Amino acid sequence: MAEIYKLIHPVKYFNDYISRDIRPDGRKFHEQRNIKVNVNSLKTAEASAVVKCGNTTVVCGVQLELATPKAEEPELGFLVTNVELTPLCSSKYRPGPPSDNAQVQSYMLSDIFSNSKCIDLKDLCIVPDKLAWVVYCDIVCLDNDGSLVDACIIALMASLKTLSLPTVTYDPETEEIKVDPDVRTPLKVDGCPVATSFAVYKLTERNILLTDPSAYEEEMCGGLGAHFTVCLNKGLICGNHKFGGSHLLMENQEEVLKIAKERANLVVKVIDSCIKNEKSIDK
Amino acid sequence: MKVTIDDVVLPGDFCEDIIKAGEKSRVILGPGLRKELEKIFITKAGVLRKRAPNTYWVDSYQKRYVPARGENVIGVVIQKAGDSFRVDVGGSCSATLSYLSFEGATKKNRPEVQVGDVIYAKMLVASKDMEPELVCVDSNGKKGRLGVLNDGFVFKCSINLVRKILNPSCPLLNSLKNEWPFELAAGMNGRIWIKANSMRETIAVGNAILGCEYLTSEEIKSMCTNIASILAGHVS
Amino acid sequence: MGAEEKDLRDFKLQPMKCELNFLSKSDGSAILSQGDTVALVSVNGPLDIKSTSQSIEKSTLEILFCSKGGKPSVADRYKENVIRQTCEKAVLGCLYPRTGITITIQELEDFGGFLSCALNCACLALLNSGVSLRHVFACVTCGVDEKGEVVLGGRGCDTQISCVFDSIDKTLITCFSEGTYSEGTYLEAVARCRAASELVFAFYRDVVSKYSNAI
Repeated sequence: MAEIYKLIHPVKYFNDYISRDIRPDGRKFHEQRNIKVNVNSLKTAEASAVVKCGNTTVVCGVQLELATPKAEEPELGFLVTNVELTPLCSSKYRPGPPSDNAQVQSYMLSDIFSNSKCIDLKDLCIVPDKLAWVVYCDIVCLDNDGSLVDACIIALMASLKTLSLPTVTYDPETEEIKVDPDVRTPLKVDGCPVATSFAVYKLTERNILLTDPSAYEEEMCGGLGAHFTVCLNKGLICGNHKFGGSHLLMENQEEVLKIAKERANLVVKVIDSCIKNEKSIDK
Repeated sequence: MKVTIDDVVLPGDFCEDIIKAGEKSRVILGPGLRKELEKIFITKAGVLRKRAPNTYWVDSYQKRYVPARGENVIGVVIQKAGDSFRVDVGGSCSATLSYLSFEGATKKNRPEVQVGDVIYAKMLVASKDMEPELVCVDSNGKKGRLGVLNDGFVFKCSINLVRKILNPSCPLLNSLKNEWPFELAAGMNGRIWIKANSMRETIAVGNAILGCEYLTSEEIKSMCTNIASILAGHVS
Repeated sequence: MGAEEKDLRDFKLQPMKCELNFLSKSDGSAILSQGDTVALVSVNGPLDIKSTSQSIEKSTLEILFCSKGGKPSVADRYKENVIRQTCEKAVLGCLYPRTGITITIQELEDFGGFLSCALNCACLALLNSGVSLRHVFACVTCGVDEKGEVVLGGRGCDTQISCVFDSIDKTLITCFSEGTYSEGTYLEAVARCRAASELVFAFYRDVVSKYSNAI
């Protein structure tokens, strides 16, 4: 019965839940979904992580490559992030070249990442103007159930925190490159940016904020990318994104920042304890 | 922002005068106005107008035609499809025109309309969810001024220019008709058909109409005399 | 509150110049310069579009962003997305179901704050095209200088916060930022942008009054 009601009166169905202060999946407005993180799950990648936020599942794999730095920035290495949204993760995506949405998500991710300055690209340079690391971070979404950017950032940070770079010796005269994969130095990661999404739902004269929205909630609140994403790194904001959707009042902003801060601390703890566990198993 | 009649308005403004008038009697909301949650919002940029007793609308600039019921439009037949014609009126989709909606047309006696003909017709059905439908007869089955337009010359202009020249207070057509004879059909979809005795005169009418877009009444009058004197050969 | 409000309004925006109906063949167009940054936007529609992208509920917005170099990039897709989502909120698409409205943005000069200029220009072009709108919107950019002070315009600052407000309740529709900043800075920047959006709306009204008196 409920399913039919949902189909016939999609908005009223949603309103009925919201006006009783509960979300259709049983959560409170500011309740987040469970986060599950697993690192080093892919053996073929240099570093990897699988992250589940509720049903949203993303896999991040990191590959390393050597390259010559750009002539205009001879002291910087490269970090390339890419998000793939395959038809696997939602019926909205078709096979073929990356959809507009995938490109937008990729751009947002790299934007947040570079703004947070959590990785100094100078650390990736081996010999200025000659040799530098290229870190390819490929993120594949297996199941898209909302708040994709949040999950992608967690996966990216979890894998980068476990990444270690092999030692490279470079002979400037012979231009010979020697890579020693056994002696590794961990990559320096400064802080840990965390993104938190909020869907804004307009219920007659009242704006409701839904933390960590699911795909269904995102759709009810204005569709793709209409939610408000706040990214925090070490207490500083490194990205605020909101494109269209319901309007956000000034009062809401402080509330949003408070929740985002709490969540940032939580996520950092989750990632750290996961990496700690992984290390203790290895030993 | 709160606005009153004859103000320059932007979308999102609201007008309380209309609500007050609406409490006493029925009001008619014309283009550019929209009722939402007991408030009247403006949806187009322009000037808010009122005609006594209770009609309100926004005078705005527009080039693209959005079909509206009861308007006379000029269209071009683009296809003959079974028992109807498809007519391009400049809207988002073409309009249909049944061959029975001509004066005296029957199943046997089809009107002679070819692809490419220019038609002056009335919008019978124009809803956002349905294909617009045209007719070439009035409610008495008479053709009136509607039907195929032969010869002449059609040109496009902005929709507010058509509204302007059809406004009884605009002196353009009154001044021009005293100077030399011509026929004119103005479609509310921003197309104007003119026919005069010579090509020179046709072009003169066309230019006079296009030239008056941003002129005041006084300037239009002097422009008309100017064009007439050039046409008569007094000034070269 | 009164004194504070006045203080916020004292800030000057970059000088804006605009010409509506710049292109003769499109349904609506505008060219806008904010300081040295110039954008040209044309709006066409409501038009017939291919049936796969038609929506039975509302009109489909198609945004095309042409950068100066002409090469499409991922950053352009992002900008298109920002503009699409913002315009979708403003356009009363439910009045034109199964049609498409095409908005083309051409970058002419970019001396910083281009996206903000493009958004304002798109709003003016939509006003010019006569498409029904729920409200108008204004995009204002704030920068944070070396001392951590919030400055309006903010050209040359590493940290920039841009906000788009609607004209009805001045609530936030769109927001995007560059660089890192503290919470307090963010809230101050939003308040500044909000106050400055009044100036942009006044500018829109000025532009519209200039041409609506003639028609």
